[in-house]
Amino acid sequence: MKLLLTLMALAALVPPPAVTAAPITMNNVRFVEYPDFPDAHSTWRSIGYSTRQNKVYIGVTNHRDKVGLFEYDVPTRAIRLLGFLPELAHLRPWQWQGKVHSQILEGADGKMYFATDGGESREEYLMNHPQGYYSGLLLRWDPRAEILEQLGTGLPNESIKDIALDNVGGLVYGVSYPSVHLLLFDPGSNYLRDLGRVGSDHVPRCIFSDRWGNAYYVDWRQRLIKYERDTGRLLFSEQSIQWFPGTTGEQIITGIPTYATDTELGIIYLITYSNMLVAFRPQRRGIGEIEILGPTVDSDKTPPPGYSPNSAFADNGKLYYFVGGHNRYVVKDTTLLMEFDPVTGKRRVALKFPLDVVSEVTGCDVKDAQGNLYICGRRRAADAQDMGESGASRPFLLIFNPDKDIRE
Amino acid sequence: MLNRLLLLSAALLLCAAQARAEYTFFTPEGAFAVEVSLENPGPRLRLPIYRNRITSLAAQGDWAIGGTTAQEGLSPFLFAVSLSAQELKVAHDLTADIPGQRAIRSGFGRVGEALYAGTIAQGEGAGGHLIKTTFNGKEFAVEDLGIPLEGEGIFALTADPERRMLYGISFPHGKFFSYEIASARVKVFDETAITKEQHGYYHRYALTDEDVLSRALVVDKQGRVWGSRPVNRIFYYDPATDKLVTIEEELPTVWGRRPLGRADSWAVAPDGTIYGGNAGDGQLFRIDPVSLRVSNLGKPIMSPRMPGLAFGADGRLYGIAGALPGYAHFFVYNTASGDYIDLGNPRVPLIVPEVDSEFPWRGFQIATVTATRDGKYILLGEDESLSQLIVLPVDGAPAQQWP
Repeated sequence: MKLLLTLMALAALVPPPAVTAAPITMNNVRFVEYPDFPDAHSTWRSIGYSTRQNKVYIGVTNHRDKVGLFEYDVPTRAIRLLGFLPELAHLRPWQWQGKVHSQILEGADGKMYFATDGGESREEYLMNHPQGYYSGLLLRWDPRAEILEQLGTGLPNESIKDIALDNVGGLVYGVSYPSVHLLLFDPGSNYLRDLGRVGSDHVPRCIFSDRWGNAYYVDWRQRLIKYERDTGRLLFSEQSIQWFPGTTGEQIITGIPTYATDTELGIIYLITYSNMLVAFRPQRRGIGEIEILGPTVDSDKTPPPGYSPNSAFADNGKLYYFVGGHNRYVVKDTTLLMEFDPVTGKRRVALKFPLDVVSEVTGCDVKDAQGNLYICGRRRAADAQDMGESGASRPFLLIFNPDKDIRE
Repeated sequence: MLNRLLLLSAALLLCAAQARAEYTFFTPEGAFAVEVSLENPGPRLRLPIYRNRITSLAAQGDWAIGGTTAQEGLSPFLFAVSLSAQELKVAHDLTADIPGQRAIRSGFGRVGEALYAGTIAQGEGAGGHLIKTTFNGKEFAVEDLGIPLEGEGIFALTADPERRMLYGISFPHGKFFSYEIASARVKVFDETAITKEQHGYYHRYALTDEDVLSRALVVDKQGRVWGSRPVNRIFYYDPATDKLVTIEEELPTVWGRRPLGRADSWAVAPDGTIYGGNAGDGQLFRIDPVSLRVSNLGKPIMSPRMPGLAFGADGRLYGIAGALPGYAHFFVYNTASGDYIDLGNPRVPLIVPEVDSEFPWRGFQIATVTATRDGKYILLGEDESLSQLIVLPVDGAPAQQWP
């Protein structure tokens, strides 16, 4: 018996034979169309996964005044329209909402939190004019009761571009557009605290939180800002996350459009607007360690080209992100799916898509229990040319699993 | 081929759509913003978060001198920005001189090379101080002139350098007071104070003392001191008679919105004409210094508020219209023709020493406006949790409607 146990123990110490990962092909990708919304134009960061329901929720918009809330049931692969925000949230015409730009996040209560955005010039410039914008709303979808709850507005006439959750204490963090105010909501007490303006000409689109419920954003110098939940203080990193003299726009654009978390190692991977990969190791108190991992694509150019408002950390320990969108492509008229291996530090092109298949994808780290990654996809579509200010496109749900064949 | 054409068409339309979404910002050659505030600045001198709303601003040679308002529990600063170096050079925590103060929101009054201001203390019931400050290019010297009104802060202040007098509005009661610099003699006038009945009236509109008190005072060429008092009235203090006079005509109103009226800003033209901004609906108005006729000059934009006015070297009146929940618009008013030109939300390059490229900065909320003594630059002080100083050259302002 002892011998058997010893052999078993020795066997456990022997590393398993190296598994050669199968190449990633289109068999690893599936596209799902949104039903019952012929005007659908685009999706943004507006996607999230409910661990309790095993469902994915997506906000799809006509990029004008109609946002459909969709539900994708993972086991049955069925997608359905739950309704449109104006009806679900009892909105009046003057409370029109251009899109859901925020993440859709599962709270500790199992409900899905998200926020709304004006989306077009009439929000920013018409403001309190009759044709202007009322305000971004914080909303909460109850998947069991199938009820959408309004949790109040952010700042008057301003959008809420993104939210993050404190799943320890129930706070919701937000960032407003266009005047870049950090917001702190406490839905339990209906408290809204304006933490102040932390940027100016450009509004970084991503706010994220860690397992202690701290929230992170960046200031105009691309320095990490932390709302430390334990102390209620705002901390600013002294050093900027590396960026380049010119970034993805005509002028300097600082900020982080996406994040993805390796929950086992406690690393949050960030991508900057200047296409730099960053490993951030948060800690409960104080700003954590920041490690620069290099550009998103192998490139000699400064800044490296591209645009990646999306990323996801897969079960295989690798980071995946699409490069391309908003007319910023590394390869002409091509969107790249990139794979980054944190162990080797190498990145490679996993797949290429023409723009009429995939023109831009958004979403942060939406993953189900089977390791499927869910991303908001858009394809260039000339028939949507008269819609929205953000390009002629049609939206779809993109499912990707680097380790499995997920074809229909 | 068809697919290619469709793609090309779509791309062109995409570009066109994006071009439509672009707006032309007024960014004249020579405009810039100085990074005055930055939390955790390392070796750089910057003001910390929540202590830097630029609520008092004056120009003195190459220097922009600021006084700030802090959040409750935090203390304000005096600061000096070198306009030629485009950098914050001196930050002076007022706690070092007068502990327990929260705001320097009165504006500055200049007498000789000294700047005078008033403070608002932490908490209710504590008196604000009059301060005299001089700046020698390296540091501030601050002299505490004491509390002119027990239990009252100082909401607005101006100075008459010829008579060596200071004039102020107290907070929260809104009393007008004079301060003779030579003797330190204070005289208080109760006529401008908010009465019990007026408190009841404002309560119906959910307006607080801070919403209705005269936000600024100005001294005209005759030494009269102009301000507003509840409800929507204009007064002047006449040093010749040592009396307050409330003139017959009120601040110009939008019908039904009279309770919102108060003086937000003032500027005296070279010819002695008095110009004011009404916070209520953001109207510019003019007071004829002889006939005391009040003329409503309309408003440059839709939003209420006109937080600042200053005359430029070209003889035109520059100002900021709009505030929360709207955004600041920089405008210029031609006093001869009556033309407004809305120059929009100011956006200028922020000077960040570590950055060579253009780093655009938009001023969403502006608390204060002043001009350099030569009138060549208009200075805007932001009203934010992290506020910066925006500098716009008058030379760059267009002569005709823009863009």
